[in-house]
Amino acid sequence: MKKSFIFSGSGGQGIMSAGIMLAHTAIDMHKHSTYLPEYGPEQRGGSAKCTVVISDDEIVSPLPKKCDNLIVMNEQAYKKHQSCLKAGGLLLINSSLVKAENVRTDVKVIAADVDDIALELGNVKAANIILIGILIGATGIVSKDIFAQSLEEKFKNKKPEILQLNMAALERGIEIGKKHAK
Amino acid sequence: MEKKFIKGCEAIAEAAVRGGCRFFAGYPITPQNEIPEYLSWRLPEVGGAFVQGESEVASVNMVYGAASTGTRAMTSSSGPGISLKAEGISYLAAAQLPALIVNISRGGPGLGSIQPAQSDYLQATKALGHGGFHAMVFAPATLQEAVDLTYNAFEYAERDRGPVMILMDGCLGAIMEEVELPPMKEVTKEGTSSWNLSREGCPNRPPRCVTPILPELALENLNRMKGNLYKKWQEEDVKVEHFMLDDAEFVVVAYGIAARVAKEAVIELRAKGVKIGMIRPITIYPFPRKSLSELDYNKVKAIIDIEMTIPAQMRDDIELPVQGRCPVYEYGRSGGVLLDDDGVYQAIEKIVKECD
Repeated sequence: MKKSFIFSGSGGQGIMSAGIMLAHTAIDMHKHSTYLPEYGPEQRGGSAKCTVVISDDEIVSPLPKKCDNLIVMNEQAYKKHQSCLKAGGLLLINSSLVKAENVRTDVKVIAADVDDIALELGNVKAANIILIGILIGATGIVSKDIFAQSLEEKFKNKKPEILQLNMAALERGIEIGKKHAK
Repeated sequence: MEKKFIKGCEAIAEAAVRGGCRFFAGYPITPQNEIPEYLSWRLPEVGGAFVQGESEVASVNMVYGAASTGTRAMTSSSGPGISLKAEGISYLAAAQLPALIVNISRGGPGLGSIQPAQSDYLQATKALGHGGFHAMVFAPATLQEAVDLTYNAFEYAERDRGPVMILMDGCLGAIMEEVELPPMKEVTKEGTSSWNLSREGCPNRPPRCVTPILPELALENLNRMKGNLYKKWQEEDVKVEHFMLDDAEFVVVAYGIAARVAKEAVIELRAKGVKIGMIRPITIYPFPRKSLSELDYNKVKAIIDIEMTIPAQMRDDIELPVQGRCPVYEYGRSGGVLLDDDGVYQAIEKIVKECD
């Protein structure tokens, strides 16, 4: 089994940390994984993209042209990367920010208002974790428990509310994802 | 062995520390900033020193100074910064000082692009500085290989008394993969006495001399010695991976990130019955000439050079041992545009169809 993911949006939306956390969780599950970030010189607001490959076997090339799962966090990323998704792949859209006109008909689409849901939970910054939750719920690509452990590890030195927020975001995401599971 | 999910630049930095590096000086440039960032806290932990120099020129000369105390010293940069360090690297070569130089390369020429590219092959292998010297250049394709090569780089530098380079593109510098980290080497300054100026002073021994300027006969002797050394490297120190070459009619030559993308295509084409294999130089200097000269040209129909740069820079090194016995094709992307699986597969498939 080999699956590829492209996370895309703008700097500050947690694109890179979502990719790293997903890849790291796969490693913790003794799978092989590569994470490749691509971004411009800007710290905030520029385009941000990362490619994650998860595989049972050693990963030869970390540079797939087309991915199995495309996650788009804003309109620009949607327009730029829509063609990078394989036919039959999963397109995950942050519909709070993406109008998503002319959506491809040969892919599975999940649209969720993740920015609004994150705000409702307490902070828009948790939107990326909702997206990962949706991925886990819909595809089972990594274990929910092991991902939750990596969240605990990541936020262990922060205020407990931050971990609680992210855990709630993960749960909400999984709930949404499960509705779309095959 | 300790396993870690780590970024390419940080993997190189940690491997250098474990390989005995105790001094770093450098100046920021994307996409290698994670090396100095990491070493700025890591080196003090092991009693080493980190300096962010005021420029590339100053940094490479600090490495020159540190190396002449018998300390394992390194610097890192990307294309434009390596150009600025060229003078200092040439001085290191002349003064016969061991040092590790890391180039995490990006699009060029000029200030180029901050995005990854394999644009510095010619600079690394032919002219790291003025004066006609070579350094051994390692070009890892995975982070594990980057760790292993960096870990042992100082042994080569000290054995041959000169700079050694690790050349890796910005893509592998930024990528995260799992690696096994080797244990910390116990490094002493024993064996460094011929270039180590820092020890007890010289009341009872002949004075030691480290200098980048030599009178003409001595300079000619040095160059003669270096010439012999490069021949010896070609005989003894070439590192190369051969993949599915036995019955190959088509041979891809690629190094670093390009080799990973090309290998995926080779595997896919093999599955479709195409007799194709790959030669992957791990040392790009010394270049694995024998791998190419000893191919069976009754079978081989074409050589395909895949690089993340345009035009291909490795081509002359390939054509020399091929000696016109089969055509050499090239495919690449450049300027910060990455190679990708589909593009490389299609390019190779097209060449295969043309030749059949």
